Amino acid sequence: MGKHEIRIRRQRLSARGSERFRNYNSILKQHDESKRIKTITRIFTFFFIIIALILIFVVVSRWEKKQTEPGKISTTKIERLNV
Amino acid sequence: MAEDEIRKELLIIERSKKDRQAFGELYEKYFDRIFNYILRQTDDEELAGDLCSQAFVNALNNIGKYENRGFPFSAWLYKIAGNEVNKHYRKNKGKKIFSIEELKVRELVEQTEEGWDEELINRLLGYMNELPTDMVQVLELRFFEDKDFKEIAFILDMTESGAKMRTYRALDKLRTNFNLKVRYHG
Repeated sequence: MGKHEIRIRRQRLSARGSERFRNYNSILKQHDESKRIKTITRIFTFFFIIIALILIFVVVSRWEKKQTEPGKISTTKIERLNV
Repeated sequence: MAEDEIRKELLIIERSKKDRQAFGELYEKYFDRIFNYILRQTDDEELAGDLCSQAFVNALNNIGKYENRGFPFSAWLYKIAGNEVNKHYRKNKGKKIFSIEELKVRELVEQTEEGWDEELINRLLGYMNELPTDMVQVLELRFFEDKDFKEIAFILDMTESGAKMRTYRALDKLRTNFNLKVRYHG
């Protein structure tokens, strides 16, 4: 058997059957809703990126600070040795 | 489609990009065709209604990106509708349904009234069930939606020669396996 099923329709498709589904106002409403969701998603994504960048900046600056601190100790040790 | 009609439609599309209300004209014009196209692939009016609405919402959401590539606007709508149907079947993991009209099959196949019996119809159904799905899709668009091969290729994302090849192969099999005269010569 294939991945589909063929059925025979005895009656011709008419415009009458589709009439109760025809509603352009509902299409416009759904369009506005998806536009709203899109805008909210964009704003959230923007804030998420900003927060992520701030976090990366904080982590990197802390790491740099930690890297420089042991360096200071080692220079004082050298100074003591010289004395 | 006449040149004048195409130009008029393109103007409505341009207006729709700025004013979403203008799209209503295209919606009214193509609603029945898109609904029936989906209904032929679902055999469920409620589902066809839902998928049709979703297809038009998607079309409206993306009308700003629409570019005229030499195809009628309806081909773009058919493509969106087809994608919605495929999405539905992928999500529900169901078997794709093709609900074809008996009258259309009768128009396609030359046969005397006496020759048309339930057995022949059942054999034809069996044969079409065995065909690859993409071949049935091409046949459906060619014979039930009256689309040309260029449009079919655009709607189904395949080459024009691929669409032609699938149609001719299916029809050749039909001619030889059923000894039927098919009213189609390319």
